[in-house]
Amino acid sequence: MISAIGNNVQEAYANLSNAKSGIGKIHHLNTRYKDEFVAGEIKLSNNDLMDYIRFKSPALNRTSMLGIAAASEALKHSGIDLNDGMRTGLISSTTVAGMCKTELFYKEMVDKSLHLEVLDAHDCGESTEEIADYLGVKDFVTTISTACSSAANAVMLGSRMIKQGMLDRVIVGGVDALSKFTFNGFNTLMILDKEWCKPFDENRRGLNLGEAGAFIVIESEASLKRRNGKALATVAGYANANDAYHQTASSPDGFGATMAIQQALKMSGLSPAQIDYINMHGTGTPNNDQSESKATVNIFGNNVPKFSSTKAYTGHTLAPAAGVEAVISILSILNDKIFPNLNFTTPIAEFGLSPVTQVTSHRMNHVLSNSFGFGGNCSSLIFSRV
Amino acid sequence: MAAKAYIIGTGCISPQNTTDENYFFETIIGPNGDHFPAIEPSYKEHINPNMLRRMGRAIKMGASAARMAMTEAKLDNVDAIMSGTGLGCFEDSEKFLLAILNNDEQFLTPTSFIQSTHNTVGSQVALIMKCHEYNYTYTHRGFSFESSVMDALLSLNEGKKNILIGGIEEHTPLFVELNRQAKKFNTDTTHPLFEGKTHGIQMGEGSAFFVVSSEKQNAQSSIDGISFLYKPKSSKEVLDKINQFLDSQNTALDNIDLVLFGFSGDSDFDNYLLELLPLVSNHSATAHYKHLCGDYHTAGAFATWLADKIIRKQEIPHTIRINHHTKTSIKSILIINAYLGINYSFTLLRQC
Repeated sequence: MISAIGNNVQEAYANLSNAKSGIGKIHHLNTRYKDEFVAGEIKLSNNDLMDYIRFKSPALNRTSMLGIAAASEALKHSGIDLNDGMRTGLISSTTVAGMCKTELFYKEMVDKSLHLEVLDAHDCGESTEEIADYLGVKDFVTTISTACSSAANAVMLGSRMIKQGMLDRVIVGGVDALSKFTFNGFNTLMILDKEWCKPFDENRRGLNLGEAGAFIVIESEASLKRRNGKALATVAGYANANDAYHQTASSPDGFGATMAIQQALKMSGLSPAQIDYINMHGTGTPNNDQSESKATVNIFGNNVPKFSSTKAYTGHTLAPAAGVEAVISILSILNDKIFPNLNFTTPIAEFGLSPVTQVTSHRMNHVLSNSFGFGGNCSSLIFSRV
Repeated sequence: MAAKAYIIGTGCISPQNTTDENYFFETIIGPNGDHFPAIEPSYKEHINPNMLRRMGRAIKMGASAARMAMTEAKLDNVDAIMSGTGLGCFEDSEKFLLAILNNDEQFLTPTSFIQSTHNTVGSQVALIMKCHEYNYTYTHRGFSFESSVMDALLSLNEGKKNILIGGIEEHTPLFVELNRQAKKFNTDTTHPLFEGKTHGIQMGEGSAFFVVSSEKQNAQSSIDGISFLYKPKSSKEVLDKINQFLDSQNTALDNIDLVLFGFSGDSDFDNYLLELLPLVSNHSATAHYKHLCGDYHTAGAFATWLADKIIRKQEIPHTIRINHHTKTSIKSILIINAYLGINYSFTLLRQC
C-alpha cells in the first residue's frame, strides 16, 4: 500500500499507531486551489516514484506507478512465486485512471495534435495492464470502476472467483492518483473541507481528497496449504447492494448501506454482536456520515461496536479507499488495535454515536469495513482472524 | 462454471438498424469515412423525458438498450446488473475536462462531472427500475463486457435468477478527430477487414444489453461459457486456449457451427486471427462483425447480440460471411473477440 501515510504498509502502520495524519499542504497537484485546500498527497513526485518502483517508462502515468508500487509490495509480502504453475489473477479498480496525465496534455492534443499517445493510456484498463505486466500476471486481468466502493468490489469478485475454482490466488485492490479533474469535480459538488476532515462530527464540513494504491492478495486454502503459506486474515463475508436513491447522494435512511451490511453479515454467519470493530466509510461529508450512521443503527441498534473512520489519515482516496481500509482492517486484526477517528469532538446529534478517538488496544476477531460510492454503490466486507 | 445464461431479452443500439426487429443485415451501412456512428433511436420511447434531458449519450444508449432487453424479458426488475464500458461516459468527461482547462478551473458546474463517473450507466439503469441489488461496472478495454458475462455466470452459479448485462461505448467528434490525427484509422474501403490488407481501425460505438436467466423460458440461445486470454504471444497460444475452453465445455472446434471473428481490419493486430481463420474454415462457417459495429472496447456485446440473433433466425446473413459453408442448422457459435491484439475473449453460445 502506498498512501499519504507512507510508501509501504510498515510506514503506514507506524503513522496509524502514532495517530499521525498524512493530510497536508498540496505540493504535487498543480491546481490553482493548492494553497486553499489540504489533501492526502503521496510525498513522492512522479520522478521519485519512477525511482521508487525502479521502472522508468515515459508512458507510465501516476495512477499506474502507484498501482505498481502497491501491488508489487503486496505480492512480495505474500511470498507467492508467480511461476509455480498456479493460476493468478489481478483485479484492480480505478476512477481517475489516466486522467491525471490526460488533463496535463489535452490542450496540446486538441490545439496542436501533440502528445496523442497519452490518449492510449487514458482508460481504466491501462493501469491494470501496466501493473499486470510489471508483476508478470497473465491468467486473468480485469478492472472495476464503481466510484468510491471500487476496491471493495475487487475484493469481492476475487473472493468469488477463488470460491468457484477459477483462480488459485488473486491480487485485488485499487489505485487512484490525485487529479485536477476529480479535485474540481468534488469542489463543484461543494463536498470538500478546506481544512482537516472530521468524520462523524456534528460540525463536519466535507472530505479531503487523497491518493493511493492499495492491494491485498487472496489465496485459496488449497493453494496456501500447497506452498505452506500463512494467511494474515480471511475474507469472511461480503456484499454489494445499490441505494438506487440518487446519482451522487446517499439516502437518508441508509437503505443500500443497511442492505450491504446485512447481507455481508448473513454470508459470514456472524451475528451483529460478533463484530468487534467497524472501519467506516466515514468520508466527513454531511450526507455520507448521516446515512452511514443511520445504517449502523439500523443493524446494530443500541449496541454499535467500536468504530472509526480512517479517512482523516489518508484522505478519501476514491477507488482504492476500500483497499486502503482492507489493509488497515487487517492491521487492526493482526495487532488487536483500533486506529482512531482523528479530528472528532462532537457526536452527530441525531445519533449520538462517538467513534474511537485514541489508539486503542482491543481484541479483534471480526472487522466490518464499509465503502460507498456514487451511483448508490454500497459494499461491505468482513475480515476475520485466521 | 456450470450454469448456462439463457438469453431471455435483448436490446441493441448500433451503427446498423438493429433496433428494427425485422432487420437482419440484408443491406449494411458502411463507416462514415473512418468511423461508425450509432443509429440512435427515439429515446423518449424508452426513457422518461424528465430523466432524458439530463443524460449524456452513453447513458441514453445504455438505458434504452437495457429497457428493450427488460421489455422483451417481460421483467420489471432483476437480481443483478453488470455493465461493461471501456471509456465510460466520455462525452461528459470531455465536457468537464475542457471546462476545467478553458476556464482555469473556475465557473464549473457539477453535472458533467457527476455523469462522467464510469458507473453512471449501470447506476441510472438501477435508479430507473429501483433495483437495489448487486451492481458492478467493468472498465477493462476488450474485457469490459466480457467480465460482465463472466460475473453473470458466477452469479447464476451462486443462485441468482435474472441478470441484466450490457456493454456501452460512445465516441465524440473531438475524440474521433484526435484518433484521426494519431493515424489510428483505416479509410480503405476496397478490402474486407478479414484479408489483412488494411491498417488502422474503424472506430465504432453502441450499446447492447441482455437479460440472462438461469431458467430457459422462451430463450432460444444460452451463453454457456466465456474464456479470456491476455496478451498472447502466438496464434498457437490462442488456439490452445480455445481448445482448452471448448474442451471444458464438452465440445471441440470441429463441432462449432459458426465462428464469429472480431477482425478489426488492422493487420498489425489481426495476425493471430488471420492465422486461425484457415484452421477453422474446413469445418465451420465463418463470419465477422466489426464491419457492422466498428472497433471499440465493448464490441463483444454487439457480437453476442448478433450470435443470439443468428441462432434465433437460424440464418447467417450473406453480408457477414467469410466462407460459404452451408449449415443445416446453427446450434453453436464461438465468438473470438480481440481488442488491439491485447484482450482476446472466447464466448460460446448454444441453441437451446
